[in-house]
Amino acid sequence: MKEVIVHPKRCVGCMQCMPACATAHSRTRHLVSAVLETPQPKPRVHVGAGRFNEGFPNRCRHCDPAPCQLTCLTGAIYRHAGTQTVMIDPDRCINCASCAMACPYGVIRFHEDPLGPPGRAVAVKCDNCVARVAEGQIPACVEACKVGALTYEERDTAMKRQTLAVARSMSSGAGEPVLPPGVGLLRTMKESQVQLLKG
Amino acid sequence: MKYVILGNGIAGVCAAEAIRTLDLEGEIVMVGDETFLPYSRPMISYVLDGSEPHDKLPIRPADFYESMKIKPVLGQRAVSLDVENRRVQLADSTCIDYDRLLIATGADPRPLRAAHMDLGGIFYLRTESHVRQQVAALSTARRALVLGGGLVGLKAAYALLKRGLEVTLLITSGYPLSLQVDEIAGKMVLDELLRRGLKVLVGRSVRAFEGNGVVRAAVTDTGSRLPCDMVIIAKGVLPSRDFIPRQHIHVDLGVVVDDHLQTSAAGIHAAGDVAESVDISRGCRWVNALWPEAAVQGRIAGLNMAGRPVVYPGSMSRNVLRVYDLDVLTLGHANPGPEEGCRIVWSGGPGKGRYRSLVLKDDILVGAVLVNQVEQGGVLCALMENRVPLRLSTSRLMAPDFNFACLLP
Ligand SMILES: Cc1cc2nc3c(=O)[nH]c(=O)nc-3n(C[C@H](O)[C@H](O)[C@H](O)COP(=O)(O)OP(=O)(O)OC[C@H]3O[C@@H](n4cnc5c(N)ncnc54)[C@H](O)[C@@H]3O)c2cc1C
Ligand code: SF4
Repeated sequence: MKEVIVHPKRCVGCMQCMPACATAHSRTRHLVSAVLETPQPKPRVHVGAGRFNEGFPNRCRHCDPAPCQLTCLTGAIYRHAGTQTVMIDPDRCINCASCAMACPYGVIRFHEDPLGPPGRAVAVKCDNCVARVAEGQIPACVEACKVGALTYEERDTAMKRQTLAVARSMSSGAGEPVLPPGVGLLRTMKESQVQLLKG
Repeated sequence: MKYVILGNGIAGVCAAEAIRTLDLEGEIVMVGDETFLPYSRPMISYVLDGSEPHDKLPIRPADFYESMKIKPVLGQRAVSLDVENRRVQLADSTCIDYDRLLIATGADPRPLRAAHMDLGGIFYLRTESHVRQQVAALSTARRALVLGGGLVGLKAAYALLKRGLEVTLLITSGYPLSLQVDEIAGKMVLDELLRRGLKVLVGRSVRAFEGNGVVRAAVTDTGSRLPCDMVIIAKGVLPSRDFIPRQHIHVDLGVVVDDHLQTSAAGIHAAGDVAESVDISRGCRWVNALWPEAAVQGRIAGLNMAGRPVVYPGSMSRNVLRVYDLDVLTLGHANPGPEEGCRIVWSGGPGKGRYRSLVLKDDILVGAVLVNQVEQGGVLCALMENRVPLRLSTSRLMAPDFNFACLLP
């Protein structure tokens, strides 16, 4: 089964995934019309700034067992049987924010959502784009990411690639593993900038 | 193997489900006082405020017992427990034998001792049946009195305000939520409620009620008379453990459990509001009567009962209160006494629309209060549960843009 895999070191913090996600979770599903919708569709992936101001695309890990699911006061959080995706049923959610205390990644937000009940705030988070995937598309954040910080693939494939990269970097004569040169440069610049400001 | 589970609240339900993941054949008997389907207890205050209908309370399907192959024995309480002969006795004198027992009897409202408690219109807020009666009484109620400034008291007061009643909240301590939050956050909650028309009386308790069949007034310890036609008592809860023989099972405030949620008697586990486990942030035994703890404890107790040893890491207090435009999230030991040697750092406060307070013991985060912007509460909670020494400065932890990425190397 394919899933979204995050490669944090590659993220350049461009935030393209955010509007793509919001659009995918809008009523009209087109960027131009989505921005005109009320309530405004909101992203479910959140690019946060790390200690060196580097980007990090933070999204639901669909943990198993999922702490938010165990915590939910109303049984609104469940696991989608086919895809193992952790889902929130907006019609059962009472917007109590108990799940906010349970999520160690801080990825759940509370607001009125175009796909939820009208006029009521509910808990909202990544649903692995189940609707898009059912239509044969890939998750919107992956489609939008131009630097490969988000990929959609079998976990095994990604692990093998990573193991190979590490193995290569360990063998004699190899340099640092596989960051695209631009990305590496950008990160180094950000880090030194922050160090300078601090110093 | 015969499992008997006392209590069909969330702890009992999660335990039964966990047992069934490992043991499809064993007999499971579930004894419960309430006959309603397993339901969301915290949701009853939403039924009281009118935002959710009563029929949305159940959290399991109507065929729950059947599909899990559980024999339900509902509508009565266990009244005694014979540890030596592994037998439970029910109110109607029937006896049930067990091989493994789970005590998941939860908690009951702490009773109020006052004269004329039998008058109509005086309620506790703990069960779906309580809320059903309260909703029925709303049509004739105009003036309500809520006793207790804890979470349930505030939720009740908020619900009745939303229903358009005139509400007076009586609290014995100096500010609401004094057990959960510090004075600054308590004051922010109070201000918000006062702004919305709540009347609050501090340092006062009720000694008697007056009325003719139904309540008409409450008399306080200072002798003043408060007219009211509805009263909700919310003075906290007490673990339901009267039937437990203390010579066989170690009972403190709650039933004391070890790190596998077993009581001091072999083959008997306890979980949920009735259990007293080690509190991670306080470092001592504590009853954390909370839904998430009850669910997790039930699950882990069930796995242990079915023969798979699973360690319970300990409990931690945590709660969110949302009233009108204010969100209050508390974690761990959020309001320590001065003698406990904790360092407290805070920012924001009343008028700022945002407040943060962090409690540290050495370099470990042991408590936190967040007022508004509570989305990152879980990240702090994970730091506390895992007792990770802080690498980040506290100002960074309190900053509005704090997020998970800040913790990455
Ligand atoms: C209004 C309200 C709001 C709440 N809000 C929150 C919240 O926001 N967050 C949170 O974390 N928690 C909240 N709680 C607390 C939460 O509901 C409890 O922590 C949780 O329900 C405990 O589950 P439990 O299974 O341990 O016990 P219970 O839910 O108390 O279930 C125990 C069951 O056992 C039955 N029983 C008792 N004695 C016996 C006996 N001797 N024999 C047989 N059966 C017996 C009881 O009748 C009951 O049905 C709230 C509670 C209330 C009342
Ligand atoms: S906010 Fe909704 S999804 Fe989250 S715990 Fe509450 S009811 Fe469950």
